[in-house]
Amino acid sequence: MSMACTANPSLPVGKLEELAREIRGECLTLAHQSGEGHLSSSLCQIELLTALYFAFMNLSGTQEQRDRFILSKGHGCLSWYVALAKHGDIPAEWLSSYAREGSPLPNHPCKHSLPVSITSAGSLGQGLGIATGILYGLRLKRELEPRCVVLMGDGECNEGSVWESAMFAAAQKLDNLLAIVDNNGIQAVGKSDEIMGHTDLSEKFRAFGWDAVTIDGNSIPQILETLTRFPFTKGKPSAIIARTRTMVPFMDGKVLWHYRVPSAEELETALQDLQPSLP
Amino acid sequence: MRRAFVDALYSLAEQDPRVVFLTGDMGFEMFEAFSQKYPGRYVNVGIAEAQMVCAAAGLALEGFRPVIYSIASFATGRPYELIKISLGYPSLPVVIIGAGGGYCYSASGPTHHAADDIALMALIPGMTVVAPGDPGEVTALLPQLLQLDSPSYMRIGKFGEPKYSADEAILLGKARCLAAGEGVAILTTGEMAPIALSALSTLRNEHQKSPALFQFHTVKPIDAERLIALAKSVSQLIVVEESAPSGGLYAAVIAQMAQHGIRTPIVRLGPPDEWVLGNPQRNNLRTRYGFDSHAIVRQVLEAYRNI
Repeated sequence: MSMACTANPSLPVGKLEELAREIRGECLTLAHQSGEGHLSSSLCQIELLTALYFAFMNLSGTQEQRDRFILSKGHGCLSWYVALAKHGDIPAEWLSSYAREGSPLPNHPCKHSLPVSITSAGSLGQGLGIATGILYGLRLKRELEPRCVVLMGDGECNEGSVWESAMFAAAQKLDNLLAIVDNNGIQAVGKSDEIMGHTDLSEKFRAFGWDAVTIDGNSIPQILETLTRFPFTKGKPSAIIARTRTMVPFMDGKVLWHYRVPSAEELETALQDLQPSLP
Repeated sequence: MRRAFVDALYSLAEQDPRVVFLTGDMGFEMFEAFSQKYPGRYVNVGIAEAQMVCAAAGLALEGFRPVIYSIASFATGRPYELIKISLGYPSLPVVIIGAGGGYCYSASGPTHHAADDIALMALIPGMTVVAPGDPGEVTALLPQLLQLDSPSYMRIGKFGEPKYSADEAILLGKARCLAAGEGVAILTTGEMAPIALSALSTLRNEHQKSPALFQFHTVKPIDAERLIALAKSVSQLIVVEESAPSGGLYAAVIAQMAQHGIRTPIVRLGPPDEWVLGNPQRNNLRTRYGFDSHAIVRQVLEAYRNI
């Protein structure tokens, strides 16, 4: 386990899996209650968020030591809000206001209402570039400890700006940069493979001078094991291509659930059929 | 103006370790001294304007004062939405330099024309927009922009523009009187100031006319107080701009006048809402569209005839 984990002691895997299940249940309920949310995008990334917040990132200590996290796929904010509440970064009471008028938790994160968020998100292909600027700045200030983790979508990787940023990160050897791509294979109106052709994102990141691995992004043990190896290669930024599913059987693989929110009946079925995180 | 910019940047970097310069692979042999003196604080991000904007946002979040630089059309229109979201929305202190704004690169074709740079930047809430008219205004305005806690845009020209002088100080957000006068006022921004000064000399020497001349180097926020007082004191305003008819100085002026119920007649001299084809020289382009020195003289004389 990496050095930062001493500052943020990891929970046992079983506990993390339990937490992931709780977060997933809350997301489904909140999406139903608010009638808003990019639900599948929120559900797919839950194990990743759980591992990052409860086992990997150093989120205590001084600003000079703390890791930076950017949710670049801002539409997936629902599960992030729930994770922030579980982690104690925002009051749990806020969650019920999700996506309502005046809520600090809009359906795309706004740093004006949510100061714990480094950026405001909702427009894709900007978080990775901002992370490179942060790390470049930290290096100029000789604050070499903090790492920057960017959670992106595979659909987001359609944006050309992602690859401008990827080139810069490699050229500047920003090896404290970790990009995690939530690779659920689905974007707003279709399947990524059909829309964008060749979608082996590991190969793409490696071609841009990064080190990259593809893992099962719903398996907490796999995520943790991968994170212990960060940075994968000294002097190179690292990418994790995390193949993910919603873990709600009737939603998996369906483009429909990018936008749709569950009815009362669907919510009940979803909560009953909720699958545990993968081993 | 570019020499004035490089020199001002160099001395500001000396005073303030937060100043970091990023270029989108522009400025051949311009920044050697800067990059040698401050190696980490000079970054060529490559021909990647989106990345330049986002990296500047990240640097600003860590407390730096980034200055980003490209040709005006590539510094503004190309990464527009990233400027809006990554710099404007969080209100980050990043100075955007657009080199060769307006029709500075007239002969390079519409890809390099930037008549829309001021309008585009002015549309972003909280963005300060300036267009200096000579090297002196560049030197004076850059440190004032770096003091802001919000993003700003400065349009600059090329090399070797003439310097002019005026009694009034160069203050961000304030119009600058370049010549006092009566009856008619000429309002300029950017590089139209020296053109208007040359028209003024013809008017004085050959026609014994002395209109007032005000340089609005700051287009946003517009100096409404000065503008309204001026509009009330003359019979005609003549706005001269090398910008699109929407969203520039003229648009800002008429909006203020309408809001304050001022009915002083106003004329705009400037390029039309049109693709400029045929790679004209900049002077010829100004003549073709009627915003050169002769056109200003003609318009001022006509204004005096109507008084």
